[in-house]
Amino acid sequence: MTLRRVVLCAILIVLAVVVEVTVLAPLDFPGATPSLVLVTVAALAFAFGPVTGSACGFAAGLLIDLAPPATGTLGISALILTVVGYALGRVFDSDSRPLVVTTLLTAAAAALAILAGAVLGGLLGNPRIVWGDVPVMILTGALYAAILSLPLVPLVRRIARTFVPEAFPR
Amino acid sequence: MRDSRRPRIVLAVLVLISITMILLDLRGGASGPLGPLRALGATVIGPLERATASFVIPVRTYVQSVAGVGDKDRIIAELTAENDNLRAELDTVANDKARIADLEELLGLIDVNEYVTVPGQIIAVGPAQGFAWTVTVDAGSRDGVEPDMSVISGKGLVGRVISVSPSTATVLLLVDATSTVGGRLAGTSQIGIVSGTGRQDALQMQLLDPLAVVDVGETIVTFGSEGDRPYAPGIPIGTVKELRGTEGQLTRSAIVEPYVDVSVLDIVGIVLRAPDRPDRTPITPGSTSTQGSP
Repeated sequence: MTLRRVVLCAILIVLAVVVEVTVLAPLDFPGATPSLVLVTVAALAFAFGPVTGSACGFAAGLLIDLAPPATGTLGISALILTVVGYALGRVFDSDSRPLVVTTLLTAAAAALAILAGAVLGGLLGNPRIVWGDVPVMILTGALYAAILSLPLVPLVRRIARTFVPEAFPR
Repeated sequence: MRDSRRPRIVLAVLVLISITMILLDLRGGASGPLGPLRALGATVIGPLERATASFVIPVRTYVQSVAGVGDKDRIIAELTAENDNLRAELDTVANDKARIADLEELLGLIDVNEYVTVPGQIIAVGPAQGFAWTVTVDAGSRDGVEPDMSVISGKGLVGRVISVSPSTATVLLLVDATSTVGGRLAGTSQIGIVSGTGRQDALQMQLLDPLAVVDVGETIVTFGSEGDRPYAPGIPIGTVKELRGTEGQLTRSAIVEPYVDVSVLDIVGIVLRAPDRPDRTPITPGSTSTQGSP
């Protein structure tokens, strides 16, 4: 992994985490908070493949678990986003993938991530999970992720091509 | 052709690290092996959140005010009506005030407005899908904030501080499912335990006396903890909205509507210390005025 790639991923991930907790979460959207972090991980995974995808997912998840006011168990988001980054990174030849495919995959990943977070939290004894709210969270979370991914996935791909051209051999 | 096994190895390693962290964190919590990592994270990310919030908050306020523009006329009408009523009541107040001041002095009660607080702006909120009702404020240990301090707003109790970094503090809101507060009915002095439900419009109060007479609309204030930590006494929590269970039933509870709306929190106060409570003076029968301790 080249230095430029690491720097690009780090900047985008930190930005996404900070914007999610300071801007999106306080706006109190109905249902889930739009997961900018998950969409960013998805976009990086689509651009760079499964290795960078899982590494970015791990780093982003760890940051979410550490960024104040997080109180949950450290590692849960890291685990979920690692798997998300890996799975979406398998769709590496995304230049041939139409936007509709990346959007649907991101939405599905967001839905599964919320479900996995609630189930893992429940299994690990988190007393906070309101199960009645989980279906709404999943639906709204998937919707927000789809909307965010429409501009972000192409944008991140373009930034990646400009900033790390060696990762895209012609 | 790249090594096709490399992605899977990376995945396996990262998943194992994550699971190890989960297990370590479950064992130790804040004081466990990952405590320093958490503290480091808060110390590094906290200032980033502060910096972002400093130019994001004006925009956020604007968006919220645009979203609430339809309510404005209704609120103005309500406030005008309320104002008229209050003005009418005001005439009788001066007399009552003098009596209340006398009685309060007699009982050694304290005024909520006398709490010494540090103001804090809310700069970050946890994602809703985490189900934790926690927020970050831009005041930290450098400002004298410590864990287990009460957090209040102009309307009443907001929650308590659960962790601090040098420049930020994390506040557990009343409505969080892990939050419990000792509450007292302001009218009857019945006590109970007020816990969060995870929903932002309702708290649950478990009454300790099954025979307690409780009316809908009664005010609940904090009972107060020893040394005012985590909850200082006399802070308004909310009003009784609904009663569950009948009188005499072993577990009676009330649904309480909190005064503080967590979705529009902006600036809060962290209680550094409650006002000095004067020593209670003994009241002797027949005496017309109260004396200091002998």
